[in-house]
Amino acid sequence: MTAALSGAAPAVPGPRQTAARRWRSARGVVVVLLALVALAVAIALLESAPEPQYLDPESPSRGGTRALAQILARRGVPVRTVRDAEDAAKAARRPGAVLVIVRSERLTPEELRLLADTPGDVLLVEPTRPALQALAPGVHRATTDFEDVAEPGCGLDAAVRAGRVHFGTSEVYQSPPDGIGCYVSGELPRLVRVRVGGRTVTVLGSGAPLTNGLLDQEGNAALAMNLAGAGDSVVWLIPDLPEPGGGSGARSWQDLVPHGVRLFLVELGAALLLAALWRMRRMGPVVAEPLPVVVRSAETVEGRSRLYRAHRARDRAADALRSGARERLVPLLGLPRGAAQDPAMAQEIVSAVARRTGWDEQAVGSALYGPPPADDAGLVALTDVLDDLERQVRRP
Amino acid sequence: MAVTGRLGLLAALGAVAPLVWPSWWTLGALWGLLALGVLADLALAGSVRDLVLHRSGDASVRLGETATVSLVVENAGRRRVRARLRDVWPPSAASSPRVTEIDVPPGERRRVETRLTPTRRGDRAAVTVTIRSRGPLGLAARQLNRPAPWTVRVLPSFPSRRHLPGKLAKLRTLTGQHVALIRGQGTEFDSLREYVDGDDVRSIDWRASARRSDVVVRTWRPERDRRIYLVLDTGRTSAGRVGDIPRLDCSMDAALLLGALASRAGDRVDLLAYDRRVRARVEGASRSDLLPAMVQAMAPLEPELIESDAAGMVSTIMSRVRQRCLVVLLTELNPAAMEEGLLPLLPQLTARHLVMVAAVADPRVGEMARARGDLAAVYDAAAAERARADRRRLTAELRRHGVEVVDAPPEELAPALADAYLALKAAGRL
Repeated sequence: MTAALSGAAPAVPGPRQTAARRWRSARGVVVVLLALVALAVAIALLESAPEPQYLDPESPSRGGTRALAQILARRGVPVRTVRDAEDAAKAARRPGAVLVIVRSERLTPEELRLLADTPGDVLLVEPTRPALQALAPGVHRATTDFEDVAEPGCGLDAAVRAGRVHFGTSEVYQSPPDGIGCYVSGELPRLVRVRVGGRTVTVLGSGAPLTNGLLDQEGNAALAMNLAGAGDSVVWLIPDLPEPGGGSGARSWQDLVPHGVRLFLVELGAALLLAALWRMRRMGPVVAEPLPVVVRSAETVEGRSRLYRAHRARDRAADALRSGARERLVPLLGLPRGAAQDPAMAQEIVSAVARRTGWDEQAVGSALYGPPPADDAGLVALTDVLDDLERQVRRP
Repeated sequence: MAVTGRLGLLAALGAVAPLVWPSWWTLGALWGLLALGVLADLALAGSVRDLVLHRSGDASVRLGETATVSLVVENAGRRRVRARLRDVWPPSAASSPRVTEIDVPPGERRRVETRLTPTRRGDRAAVTVTIRSRGPLGLAARQLNRPAPWTVRVLPSFPSRRHLPGKLAKLRTLTGQHVALIRGQGTEFDSLREYVDGDDVRSIDWRASARRSDVVVRTWRPERDRRIYLVLDTGRTSAGRVGDIPRLDCSMDAALLLGALASRAGDRVDLLAYDRRVRARVEGASRSDLLPAMVQAMAPLEPELIESDAAGMVSTIMSRVRQRCLVVLLTELNPAAMEEGLLPLLPQLTARHLVMVAAVADPRVGEMARARGDLAAVYDAAAAERARADRRRLTAELRRHGVEVVDAPPEELAPALADAYLALKAAGRL
C-alpha cells in the first residue's frame, strides 16, 4: 500500500507538495515584503509624530504651553491663542504684538504668504522648510542635533540673560551673515534672529524649552519669556489641520511629480504600447476546424439508469436483474436457450437451481421470480442474493 | 507589417532620456528616431511577395504515424530575406515546429520541413504559409500570408493488421497448402495427381486409377471467386464512442482485416459506406490494390448525425450486386434503429444473399452490469442488463432471419469477424 502510494507520488503531487512548491517559489517575495513592512514600522517609530496638543497654549499636558501662557499673562502680556492663519494675520497687525507660529507644517503656501505680509515681530518654533523660506529667507535648516543642553554663546540679549537652556532634540540652522545665531552646536545655531523687511524674525529649533514639562529646566522659562514676551501682547498661532482636499492651494500629487519623471512615464507607456503591438500581431491566422461529435456509446444506458433511479423504478430494475441472472443460469443448467424468458419454464428452472445449490425451492423462486422489492435496501439485497445464487450454480 | 520586441525594448530603454533632459523635445526626437528606424526596416526588408513556394512530401499517412511535408522557399527577389516562417495547418494535424527561422539570399532556396502527427482521420489541408520578413535593424517586419496548397490524407490506422498473419495461416490450413487435404464441405474439385504416402485413401479416384494403372487421388480446394460486399453504416449510431474511439473506426478496422483476408483467399471484395446516401464505394478493385483503395475511400469518412436509411441501403446493395454474395453489414445493434429500419427489409436481402451483421459491443455496459454496492450501482447494473437483454433479443431475431451476427468488444471485433468469415468459408456457405 505504502509502496503503491510512494510510487504514485511523483506523478501526481499531493496538496502538501504543491503548497511546499508554491511556498518555495514565493518565499523571496514574502521575505522582501516583510522586510519592507518592518522598515516602514521602524521609520514610523523613529519619526514619531508630535502629539496633537504639542505647543498648544491651552493644554496642560507635558507637551502643551499653558504654563508659559499663564506666566506671560500674569506679567501683563496677554496671550491670544489663534487657530487660523487669517485671524492671526489680522491680530498681529496691532503694534507691539509678537506673532508666535508653531506647528507650521499645517500651514498652506497661501497662509504662509499672508503671514509673511504682517508687520510685527515673529517667533518661529520648529518651522518647516516652506515656512522658513516664506518668513525667514536666508535661514536654512541644516540638520538635527541631539545634545540636550546648550550655552548661549552669542550677543543676543534674550539668550544671554537666560543662560544655559535645555533644548532636547533640536533643529540647527545655517544663519545668514547678517543674522545672530545662538546656542551653537558645531558652528550651527539652534536659535537664529534675522531682520526681514523691518521686523525681527526669531527662529527657534526646538519647542521643548516652551513646554509645560521642561519650562522649569535650566534657563528655559527665561528664554521663553524673553522671546515671546518681548512685546506687549502675544498672538500664538497654532493652526488647525487644514481640511482634507479643501483649500485652493492644495497641490495634487501630480504637481509634485517632476516633469522629467512624467515624460519618463509617458515614454514607458509608449514602450508598453509598442510591446503590445508586437505581441498582438499573430503569426498567421487562427485556424478553425470542425470537430467530430463526442458521444459516448454507453450514454443511453447510463441515462436509463438515472431514469430508473429518479423514478425509483425498483420493479423494472429487479425485473431486468432477474432476467439477466436467469439468462446466465439457464445454459449452466443445461436447459434450452429460450427458457429464461419463458414463464412456463419457471418451475423447471427453480427446481433445477434448487437441486444444484441445495437451496430451498421457495428461496430460489422468490429470488428469481419474486415480487419487486419493497424498498431500496431490498433491491440492493436482491442483487447480492442473485450473485450468490449464480456463484453457487457455477461452483456447486 | 509587424513590429518586433526590439522596438519596444528600445523605447523602454529610451525612457531614461527624459530623466536626463526633461523636455518634450527629447521624447519627440526619440520617437522620430524610432519611426525612422521602422521606416528604414520596412523599406529594406526582403520582399515576401517575391518568394516562390514549392511543396513536396508525404501525401498520406496512417493515423498515429508521422508525415513529413517540406516547403522549399525560393527567393526570386533582389534582397536577402531573413524571416520567421510558419506553415499553418489545422490543429488536428498537430504540425511541428510551429515557427522556423529562414535566411534566404537572393536567387537561392531553402527547405523547411514540417512534421505532422495527425490526431484524427480524414484530409488535412495546409491553410497558408505566414512569412514575417525582418528589416536589417530588426525593428519592424513585413508580414504576408502566401498560399502553398497541400493535402495530407490521414488513413485509418488498421491496428488489427497484426491479426492478419494468424488468420492467413488459418486460411492456408483450409486451402490445404500446408496440410494434406481432406475432402469436405465447401470445397470444389481441383485436380488429379499421383498418390503419395500420407494421402487419405478416401480421396483415391478409382476410376482414374483404373485408366492410368497408377493410384491417382483427387485434390480439392475451397471455393474461390466469391463476392464479399462490405457495408459500413455511417449513420448516427456509428458516432458513439467506445472507449475513446468512434464505432465507425472500429468497424473500419474490422472491414480492413476482412478485406485483406478475403482478397488473399481469392474472393472479390467490394466496399460501400452508406447512411442516407453513398458516402464511399470501392468496387471491382484488383487483389493487389484493394487494400489501398479501401483505405483511401475510408479516410475522409465521418459519422453523420442522421438516421441511416435502411431501405436505401438495401436497394443500393440489391442494385449493385446481382449474383449471390456475402453482405457484411458493419453497424450497431440498436433495437430502435434496427427494428424500424433493417429488420423488415431483411427477407429481401437474405433471399438472395448471405447476410452477416457485425457490431461493436461496449465493454462499459458489461462493467455497469457487474457494478454492485450502492443503489446507484445497482440501478446501473439493472439498466445494463436491460440493454444486454435488448441486444440479445435483437440478435436472436436476426439469427431467425438467417443472419450471422458478430457482436464483440472493439479490440476483438476484427478477429471475430475474420473467424466468422473463415468458418463460413470452411462450411462452404459462401
